[in-house]
Order: sequence, then C-alpha cells, then structure tokens
Amino acid sequence: MFHLFSNKRLILLLLGVILLVAMISFSLRDRDNVSFPEQLIKDGVGAGQMVFSGPAHFVTGIFDNVDSLLNTYQENKYLKSRLEEFAGVQAEVTDLRSENTDLKALIGKKEDMRDYNPIQATVIARNPDQWEEKVIINKGSSNGVLENMAVMTAQGLIGKVILTTPFTSTVEMISTQDPNYRVSAMVIGGAKDVFGLIEGYDSERRELLLKRIDANIDIKEGQQVVSSGLGGIFPKGIIIGEITEVTIDEFGLTKLAYIKPAADFSLLNHVVIADRVMPEVDGEDNGLTAEDETP
Amino acid sequence: MMRYLILGIGLVLFFMEPVFGLFSPLKLGGEYYYIVPRFLIMFLIFVSVYFDTKHAMYYGLFFGLLYDVFFIDIIGLYSFLYPAICVVAGYTVKTVHRNLFVATLLTLVLTALFEFVLYQFFSLIALTDVPFVAFMTTRLGPTMIANSLFLFILGWAFKSVIVGRLIEREKNPNAY
Repeated sequence: MFHLFSNKRLILLLLGVILLVAMISFSLRDRDNVSFPEQLIKDGVGAGQMVFSGPAHFVTGIFDNVDSLLNTYQENKYLKSRLEEFAGVQAEVTDLRSENTDLKALIGKKEDMRDYNPIQATVIARNPDQWEEKVIINKGSSNGVLENMAVMTAQGLIGKVILTTPFTSTVEMISTQDPNYRVSAMVIGGAKDVFGLIEGYDSERRELLLKRIDANIDIKEGQQVVSSGLGGIFPKGIIIGEITEVTIDEFGLTKLAYIKPAADFSLLNHVVIADRVMPEVDGEDNGLTAEDETP
Repeated sequence: MMRYLILGIGLVLFFMEPVFGLFSPLKLGGEYYYIVPRFLIMFLIFVSVYFDTKHAMYYGLFFGLLYDVFFIDIIGLYSFLYPAICVVAGYTVKTVHRNLFVATLLTLVLTALFEFVLYQFFSLIALTDVPFVAFMTTRLGPTMIANSLFLFILGWAFKSVIVGRLIEREKNPNAY
C-alpha cells in the first residue's frame, strides 16, 4: 500500500527538502576545487561515457564526410579562386615570420604571450539539458590541464576550463550567461589594437558582447577580435570572432560591440586546450586581481 | 543476471543522453531548436508505473546524483526531481486504468512538467534569460516531439522488459 502522507513519510519528506536546499546552496557557491567523492564519480562516469561517445563520434564523422563529399564541387570552385591569393599570402607570412624571429633575437626577447603548448582533447559529453553551456572533455589534471585554461577548436575560442578532475575536465562555453565570465580581448585590423572585455552573450542574436571600449576609439564592423593575453591566462591571438555591430553601452560612457563567434559551438568533437608558455597569473582571465574584484 | 536488467537499461540510457545531446541545438531555417534527450526519466516513469514506485525512486536517486555531479555541479537538483517525478507517476497510476496508452500519455505529461520545473529553477538562479514563449517554442516543443518519437518506438519494449521482470519476481519473491 502507498500512503503518501503518513506521519513518518511527512517527516522524511521535510528532512529531504531541508537536505536538498542545503545541498543546492552548498554546491551553488563558487567552489575552487572538487571534493574527493565528486572527483571519483566524475572520473567513473567519464570513463563509461567515453565508451559511448567513441562510436557516436565515428557515426557523426561518417555523416560529416558524406556531407562534405556532396559539397565538393562548389567548395573546389571557391578554393581554386582563393588559391592564387593564398600563394602570395603564404610568401608574405614566411617573410614576416622570419623577420619577426630576427627582430626578436635582436632585442633578446625569448618569451611571447602567443606561445602555448597545445593539449589535444576529445569532447565526451555535453550537458544534455543544455541550460548551462558546458561540455566535458577527456583530459584532466593528470594531463596538465588546469582551471581557467583557454579551450578552442581550429576555428576559434570556445570556452575555458572551469573544473578539473584527474581524468576529465569541464569546459564552460563562451556562450554562457554567467555574469562572472570574462575574457580580455582586442580588436585588430585598425590603426591601433583596441582592448576590451568579452562580457556576456546575447542568446537571441547568438553573439558575444565586447564591452569597455573607449568611446573615442573608432572600431568598425568586420574587424576581427582575438584574445589579448592581458588577462593573464589565455595566450594572445586566439581568434574569437568578428564585429557585426557597434553601439554605445547602457550608460553611454563606453562602446559595446556585438561579435559573431568564429567557432561553431554545436557538434564539438576535437578541441585544443592552450597551456600558455609564459607564467600564468592566478585567477580568471579578466585582467583583474583579487583586490580589484571586491567592490 | 536478469536481476540487474532494469539497472543496466537505465545505465545505457543515462550514457546515451549526452551522446544525443551533442546533436543539439538543431538549426532549421535560421532558428535554433534545442532537443533535450529525456530517455532515462521516461524509462523510470515506466518502471514506476509497471514495476514498483520504490525501486523507481531508488534508481532515480542514484542516476540523479550521477547526473548532478557529472553534468551540472548543482547537487540535489536531479537527485530530487527524478524520484519526485517517479512518486507522482506511481501515485497517479493508482487512480487510472493501467495500459500502454495511459502510461505513454502520463510519461509525456510528466516529462514536460519536469522540463518546465527545470526551466523555472534555472530562471530563478539566473542561469538563463530565455523568455517563456521562446522556451515553449524552441525548447519544450522540439524536446517533446523528439522524446515522444523515442517513446512510441521503444515504449512497448520498456513495458515488456519491465513486466517480464515483474512476473519473474512474483515467481520467486525470496529473491528480494
């Protein structure tokens, strides 16, 4: 028989609700590290998940291949038209690169914020309820992945590592609604590089918001936005996206630009985690120290 | 061996969900549609309806906890909602005639309810700013269509497996 509201059950239910609220408030706080039982569960589930995501990636790979086979003719036509241009650009890049190394040797500069050690990883799961933009990858702290490292695909930046366990890590995508998620960025292609912060995501336009740009500086649509490396963790020069619109922010003091992300956030498979060569600064990649953050 | 069949199916569905989640969001005609696979909770509701509510609750608690820790880092959300949905399912089915059509309908209604409660929760803690109408058209609608397809295809299989286990249990009740 099933008595929903007998006395014993009512007390149990109340205790359960209290426990629930306590657990939620405990886990909603910003936690720096994952507790041991959680790590155990995460690694265990992660191992099981890898068994399932392997074949799934294989199947999607086949569909992708068929899809690109169907587009071959058009792509080939387009690529041919770009090929001649490419040879010129290639020569120029080689020339500039060697000049850059020479100049660096001349002034004795060894380290560069652009340098990073790539850690290759595979996405094993995406949070299926999709309220939070998180994916889980198959490399963890035992592979040298640390919190706040930049994660990208070949197309551009997609997010940063927020939690690590020995064998998995959780990546929060750049398209999150989290107000504390910031990336220092700069706009290139103008007379001078313009610095700003990526803060927030417009879910209707599906575009990132670049804020805190000086109102006197002129930026235009179509200019590219890359990570600036000034936040202290991300390497310099990871492509983020392209400006689609420039407006004034809600206080009228600084400019706000909408940025179309270069990377595609759906159907992720292989990602690269950027382990910066230059010493990293503690904290998040927002250019603020802990003292600045306390209001 | 057969004893762990229900748990085994639950585990497979649990691991299948994120794999199918990788396909979402779906872009159709410039609009993005989110499809959330809810295989596990639908299976648990079936267990609750055809097997018994207590077992469904335990499985719900177990899988909910795994889900909370692995995916969303908010412990207590799914591990509360999964068992709660199973209780509601078990309670409702006592008052109506139990057949596959009713079970399917009940499952779909409860899955929609589940999705709605989650939306309310995430709006409350400000993790999402999706307006209600957009939630209905871009999330709940496509999610329910996809999940009902899944249920229409596999609902009878769920039922036959669970009823098979039930008969086996009634044959030798000492196993429990």
